[in-house]
Amino acid sequence: MIGTIASQQSLLLRRQHVALVGLITMLAVTAIAGVLGWSSHHTIVRVFDQAVRLQAAAGQPAPPNPFLLKPNLSLLSNMVVYIPLIGALLALVVGHLSMVDDQSKGMGRLLFTRQVTRTQYALGKVLAATRFLALTLVGCGVVSIVALLAVNRTLSPSDLGRLTGFYVLSWSYLAVFVLVGILTALLTRRRSLALLSAIGVWLVITFVVPQFTSGLRPTQSLNPLTEPAGTSQAFFRVTQHAQPLSIVEQYKTAAGNILGTSPTSPTTETVLTIVPTLIAGFGLLVLVLWRIQRHDYARSASDE
Amino acid sequence: MSESTNRIMQVARHEYRAAVRSRALIILLAILVVATGFSVFIGATDYAAQLAEYDAYRAAAQAQGLTRIAPSPLAVLSLLRGAFEYLEIIGAIIAITLGYLSVSRERVSRTLPLLRSRPLTGTELAAGTFLGALAIFTTLIAATAVVGIVALGTIGNDWINPAQVLRLTLACVAALLYLSAFYCLGAIATAKAKMPANGLVIALGIWLLVVLVLPQIGDTLDADNQLPGGLFQALGLNHDGEIAVLTHFTGYEQVRTGIEEASLAKHFERFAFAMSDVKERYRPYGLPWLLNETRHDIGWLFAYAAVLFLGLRRTLTRQQPIPTGGNS
Repeated sequence: MIGTIASQQSLLLRRQHVALVGLITMLAVTAIAGVLGWSSHHTIVRVFDQAVRLQAAAGQPAPPNPFLLKPNLSLLSNMVVYIPLIGALLALVVGHLSMVDDQSKGMGRLLFTRQVTRTQYALGKVLAATRFLALTLVGCGVVSIVALLAVNRTLSPSDLGRLTGFYVLSWSYLAVFVLVGILTALLTRRRSLALLSAIGVWLVITFVVPQFTSGLRPTQSLNPLTEPAGTSQAFFRVTQHAQPLSIVEQYKTAAGNILGTSPTSPTTETVLTIVPTLIAGFGLLVLVLWRIQRHDYARSASDE
Repeated sequence: MSESTNRIMQVARHEYRAAVRSRALIILLAILVVATGFSVFIGATDYAAQLAEYDAYRAAAQAQGLTRIAPSPLAVLSLLRGAFEYLEIIGAIIAITLGYLSVSRERVSRTLPLLRSRPLTGTELAAGTFLGALAIFTTLIAATAVVGIVALGTIGNDWINPAQVLRLTLACVAALLYLSAFYCLGAIATAKAKMPANGLVIALGIWLLVVLVLPQIGDTLDADNQLPGGLFQALGLNHDGEIAVLTHFTGYEQVRTGIEEASLAKHFERFAFAMSDVKERYRPYGLPWLLNETRHDIGWLFAYAAVLFLGLRRTLTRQQPIPTGGNS
C-alpha cells in the first residue's frame, strides 16, 4: 500500500508545474555552479600567467602554481551553498505539495474509507517526495560529471566516489526539509500559513542558528569560502558548543570533507557531522507519523 | 480631502488592519525581530568591550601628556549591519508575503467583486493597498531602528549623534523602497497566477534569484575569492601587484559588476552599508559625498519600486472580479 500511495503521489508531483519548475531550477543551478567553476579555473589560469610575467619583470621567482592548492572537486564548491538555499526550498515545496492537495480537495476523507492506515499513507507520501528529490539529485550529479569532465578533462574513480557521497549527503539533508514541509502542512489548516511556517523554519536553520553558534552573518552564508567562526567573544565561546545542532553548518563541513575542498579531517569526524542531520530527519519522521494519527481529515483545509 | 483620496485611505487602513491580524505575517515578523535583536545585541556587547579598551588607551595617553591621540577606529552604526542583512533577506520575504496575502485574501474571501462594485478604480485600489503596505513597513523598520539605537546606547554605551540619525533615517527610507518593491512583486505574482499559492512560490523563486543567487554569483566570480585565503595572497602578490594584474581583467570585472547590478538587494545593501559606516572606505566622508557616490544605487531603488508599483496598478486594473473565488 505504501508503494501505491507513493506511485500516485509521484504522478501528482510530475504533473505539478511548481515541482517541475523546481526540478529544472536545480538542474540549472548545477549547470551555473559548473560554469562558475569553469570561470574560476579560467580566471586562475589568467591571473597566474599575469603574476608570472609580473614577478619575472621584477626579477623575482615565479609564484607557486595555484592549481596545486585547488582540489579537483572545488568546481562544485558552489553546490555546497546552493543545496541549503535552493535545494532546501525545493524540498520544502515538494513536502508541502505532497500533503496539502489531499487536505484542501477533501481527498483525505475519501482515501481513508479504503484499506489504508495513516502510517502507510504518511510513509507513502514521504517516499514519493524523497524519491523525487533523489531523481533530481541524480540529474544534478550527471550535470556535475559533465562539468567536471569539461573542465578537468578527467574524473578519477575516487572523485566519482566523493561526488556520489556528496549527493547522498545532500539527499539526506534535503529529506529533513521535505519532512518540515509535510509537518507544517499537518499542523496548520491554511496552505499559505503552512508554506510560510516551513519557510520560517528554513530561515532559522539557514541564517539565524549559524549566527547564534558561529557568529556567521546572513550574507556570509552565501559564500562557499567562509571565514572560520570567530571565537574571540565570550558569547561565542559558549554558543559554539551548540554547533552540532546547526545542521546547515554540519552539512557544509561534511560536504567540504567529502568533496575534499576543506582541510582533511578523519573519517570519524566526517561521520559525526552527518549524525545531527540523520537525528533531525528521524525525529521529524516520528513527529509526522505521530501528527498524522491525530489529523482531522473530516475538515478540509483552507485554500488560502 | 477629495473623494478619491478618501477611498485610497480607506483601502490603506483596511490593508493595515488585515495584515496585523495575519498569523503568517506575525510568525515571520517574530523571526525578523528576534534575529535582528540578537544580531545587534551581540555586536553591541563586543563594541562595549572595544570602546572601553579605547577609552582606557585615550585616558592613559592623556595622562602621559600626549597631544596626538589616534582616533577611534570604531563605528557604532556599523553594528546595525546584521539588522540590514536580515531586512534584506527576511524583510523581503515578509514583503512578498504581505503582497500575496493582500491579493489572495480578497480573492478567496470573494470580496474583490464587492470592492469592484464600489466606485473604486484599479489605480485607487493599487494606491490604497500600496500605502497600507508602506505603513506596515514603516512600523516594522522604525521599530527595528529604535530597538537598534537603544541597544547601541544601553549595551554598547555609545548613543548616536544627530548626523548619524539622519544617515540611519536615509538607510531606513531605502529599506522602505526595497520592501515596497518586493510587496508589489508578491501582489503581482499572486494576482496573475491562477492559483494564489503558485503565485507565492513564483515570487519566492524570484526573491531567491535576486536576493541570494545573483549577489552570490557576483561574489564568487571575484578573482581574489577563487582560493581560500585569497588568490593574490597565494600567488605572493601585494596590493600593487593585485592592481597591476586586475588591469588585464576589466571586461571580466564589468561582467561581474553587471551581475551584481541586476540585483535590487545589492543596491539596497550598498546604500545601507554606506550610510551605516559598514564599509571602512566610506567612513571619512560626509553625507553629500556619500549620496553622490551611491546615486546609482538610489536611482535603481527608486526605479525598481516605481516600475513594480506601475505593474501592480496595471495588474489590479485589469483584474477581473472572480465570481467563484480563488482555488489554489
